Amino acid sequence: MLSVKDLTKSVQVEDKTLVLLQPLNLTIAAGESIAIVGPSGSGKTTLLSILAGLDLPSSGQVYLKNQPLHQFNEEQRSQVRAQHVGFIFQQFLLINSLTALENVMLPAELANMPDAQARGEALLTQVGLADRIQHYPSQLSGGEQQRVAIARAFIAKPDVLFADEPTGNLDSKTGQYIIDLIFDLNVKEGTTLVLVTHDAKLAARCQRQVEMDSGALTEPMAEATLANTEENQPDSQTTTHHDLKSKTSVSQVG
Amino acid sequence: MSIVKQKASTMWFTQSLRLLHHELRRGELTIIFIAIVLAVATVFSLTGFSGQIKHAIVANSTNTIGADRVLRMSSEVDKSIIEKSQTLALQYAQKIETESMAFAGDNMLLSELDAVSDTYPLRGELKIKTSLTQIASIVANAPKPGTVWVEPSVLSRLDVKIGEVIEIGVAPLIIAGIVTDIPDRSYRAFIAGPTVILNIADMPKTELIQPGSRITYKYLFAGETEAIESFETWIKPQINESQRWYDAKAAQNRLSRILDTAEKFLSLASMLGIVLAAVAVAVASRRYGQRHQPNVSIFKALGASISHVRKLYCLHWALLSCLSIAAGLVTGYGLMLLGANAIASYLSLADAPLTFVPFLTAIFTGLLCAIAFAIHPIMTLVKSSPLNVIRGFSQEKVARFGWHQLPPLLALFLLLFIFSQDLVMSGALLVGGVVVSFILLLFGRGLMSAGRSVGTKAGKSWHLALANLKRRASENSVQLVSFTIAIMLLLLITVMKSSILSEWEQQFPDDTPNHYLINITQDQIQPLTTFVEENNIANQGFYHIYRGRLSAINGVKTVDKDDNDSETQNAEKTDSNKKQDSKKTKQQKSRQGMGRELGLTWRTELPDENEIIAGQWWQVSDEKPQVSIESNIAERLAVKLGDDLTFTLGSDEFTVPVTSIRQVNWQSRQLNFIMVFNQSVLEQFPTTSISAWSISDEDRDLVYGFLANFPTITVMDFAAIMAQLNSIIEQVTVAIQLILILVVLAGSLVLIAQVQASMEERERELAILRTLGAKGSLLRNSVLYEFVALGAIAGLMASVGMEIAVYILQSQVFNMSGSFHFQYWLVGIGAGAFFVGLIGMLSCWRLLKLSSVTLIRRTM
Repeated sequence: MLSVKDLTKSVQVEDKTLVLLQPLNLTIAAGESIAIVGPSGSGKTTLLSILAGLDLPSSGQVYLKNQPLHQFNEEQRSQVRAQHVGFIFQQFLLINSLTALENVMLPAELANMPDAQARGEALLTQVGLADRIQHYPSQLSGGEQQRVAIARAFIAKPDVLFADEPTGNLDSKTGQYIIDLIFDLNVKEGTTLVLVTHDAKLAARCQRQVEMDSGALTEPMAEATLANTEENQPDSQTTTHHDLKSKTSVSQVG
Repeated sequence: MSIVKQKASTMWFTQSLRLLHHELRRGELTIIFIAIVLAVATVFSLTGFSGQIKHAIVANSTNTIGADRVLRMSSEVDKSIIEKSQTLALQYAQKIETESMAFAGDNMLLSELDAVSDTYPLRGELKIKTSLTQIASIVANAPKPGTVWVEPSVLSRLDVKIGEVIEIGVAPLIIAGIVTDIPDRSYRAFIAGPTVILNIADMPKTELIQPGSRITYKYLFAGETEAIESFETWIKPQINESQRWYDAKAAQNRLSRILDTAEKFLSLASMLGIVLAAVAVAVASRRYGQRHQPNVSIFKALGASISHVRKLYCLHWALLSCLSIAAGLVTGYGLMLLGANAIASYLSLADAPLTFVPFLTAIFTGLLCAIAFAIHPIMTLVKSSPLNVIRGFSQEKVARFGWHQLPPLLALFLLLFIFSQDLVMSGALLVGGVVVSFILLLFGRGLMSAGRSVGTKAGKSWHLALANLKRRASENSVQLVSFTIAIMLLLLITVMKSSILSEWEQQFPDDTPNHYLINITQDQIQPLTTFVEENNIANQGFYHIYRGRLSAINGVKTVDKDDNDSETQNAEKTDSNKKQDSKKTKQQKSRQGMGRELGLTWRTELPDENEIIAGQWWQVSDEKPQVSIESNIAERLAVKLGDDLTFTLGSDEFTVPVTSIRQVNWQSRQLNFIMVFNQSVLEQFPTTSISAWSISDEDRDLVYGFLANFPTITVMDFAAIMAQLNSIIEQVTVAIQLILILVVLAGSLVLIAQVQASMEERERELAILRTLGAKGSLLRNSVLYEFVALGAIAGLMASVGMEIAVYILQSQVFNMSGSFHFQYWLVGIGAGAFFVGLIGMLSCWRLLKLSSVTLIRRTM
């Protein structure tokens, strides 16, 4: 479903190069749920943005459903996102001037799905917001807004769902409810889930956890179970881990 | 599949409409909407209104002169001209125009007198009513001898009724009706007084026509085109400097020019408001761009292509623009109707059609505001990266100077050019505007910094308020400049109306003339002299007056506006004629003339309030013809000592050398003359005299009673002239006040837009202060004081600006010593502080009403 090979990311800050991601390899199978954990600034979010096609790597390859995202321009990546990707963000990121239903319908409309409204209503009902579909985000609580975001993430039946600290802005009780919802829908829809978090409890609910530190990737629970369907992978290589010995801290080079 | 595709192709359209609907409903676009409406409505009403006025005045072009061609002159026409017109079977009518007193019992009124022949008018209709209750007017020619028709206000001002008698000069005439429509109405009557129409046969009975009287003779001709043209070819070579031959088009052009100038002035003045509205669009659209940045990033993260986003926002903006422009047109139309209603008693605009011009100009202005001032934020918005959903949203710093400022500057220039139709003027206004703004900004910044230092010693609220004001100094610049200008204009009008004119009147010594007597015949001088001597009435003596024209300087003919008019009406001339004419003009290098008839006089002694600055005043015995010229005019016409000036008096022409140049104190209210001759030049011409008297309130009845014995003398009361001046100022004030309202509205929009743009920042600050335990009253006061201080600074700068402007007016225009008007400073500062404080508080009200918990939750 999703694989990266020798991926690096560095940015130029004035005349110096800041390395955000060390060369790394990772393969995620279809239907798998994976948690990327690590401390703040370890590169989790950078990795997620490249995996989702929001950003480009400095070098290396990224394939999403066999499509070489690293070779695609912004427009092509948009298309891939519209067809295959769903998002849930820590900040919910709903469009304030649209109602809950219109927010949910958005990805379906962008993916040219014919029954956006009906699907939107059904999903909002599933997340328990049947009576709030005409409400604006500002009229909803944080938990409710995140439920709208979840409905929006699932509406276009994405192949991969990226969730970036989805409970980071919620109290523990609401957070728990949201997590249950995400995993329920994940199972129900058979979606691949890539979750970025530093909540160990939340990470533990994923089939596999990988850890990032200083831009390098490690997989502490290497025994993670895989639903190993190889059909979507660009090569038959199994999950490759970065050599811990070669790991260096995020450093300034050049 | 094709349905899906079709859906996809229109999805951006649906989403765009949805966005617009929600944004409008939530009031997010109100500032931009109102700003565009304001600009469009102003331009539309102004252009439409002036266009209609112009049309109403000049539309029926043949009617505006009451004939096909008119010969206008200051003396009676040579009989041969009339005879020639009769041989060509032309219709002919005559009109004599002058100003005179109309008497009824003890009441007298300065009025515009039209004496017309029985055939008048030849074109258009003269309409009258024979009773006040009569609904429909009837078409008429001239009143029967012995009767007059008057404008309605004559009845009320002289307290007379139809059927009663008024005296014009020495002739008693019966009022037979009221005039409702004069085809060749003189617009001078707006200033001179209401019109009285009498039969030309009665004119000698009035004894108003005396040598040197200010009389205009008009000879009207109409007929077959061929006959008229052949008459024109015959008469033109005979027209001299003191005569004017014109057709409707020339009259129309002359009027159009005046109206165009007025329109240009008003348009350019309202440009300030339009520019401010555009600035409000710019500020609001920048906030709009920043507010929508997350939306675009989310759209893109969810898979929307750039073209999808571009189309969505372009349509969104286009729809908003169209909606605002349409609302602006409707508002503008309403304003135009209000304007038409307001002037309905002077001029009916009911039949004046509305052309496309105001529509096109207003729509273009609206589009310019909506596009040029918003293109940069919208383009930046469309480029927002989807990566922001992960990285977070930061407000991108916009470079202060850059290419993005080119479209607004170009748009400003274009707007100025549309209204001024003058490239140089547009450039000058743009540069001038930037310089004035820069100076105001410099002072404003200085005051804000000074306020910051003072603030550290003031209470907590003031401290916070002034610190905030200084920190937002650059954001506050626009509203500071706009409020300063608005308050300054407001103060200037108030001071002008209530102070300057009265101060000017008060500065004259007690014996300053306050009445001018015109049209005094030679045999009346003796009784008048005896009267003033017996009654001790201060006066300036009697001046002989002759009406003449400066026709050449050193043998080179002078050119003035009347000549330009005749050039316009000569448009039909053949090409060869034109070439010859232009050759002739080039050879002659014609010189600038006075452009009007002058009052000429002779003196043996140098008059008071006159000082010779070059040459010498003549000896009484010196009979060699010579002239003394006023210094400003000498400078304007580039006339030096020894130059020969040629004058035309009626059909006579004479040339005299300049032997002295005089400086004249025009502010003295004494009788002053541009050209003063020695006796030998003018004494052979027939004349009347004028005089200036100082009549005290106690003497008034006595003097008026005495002057009633001389009904041919026109008496002009200076108080009446001042009242007239005040009423003109009043009318100008109304126009300026309308523009001020526009400026204040647009300035408020900029302020509100600016406050909205800083809303997130303000929320954060308030949340921090709340968390640190600040009281609600401290927060409220700090916000209030920030705006109060901003308004007070604008008021202070406006007061200083007003004082400078008043000083210039006092010293240059009124020749008075300068004085301060501190009471108005308080008004300026107070009004600025109150108004800006109020608008600021209203804009922040929602923020200040949020509870601490909500505030902290929203921002932390």
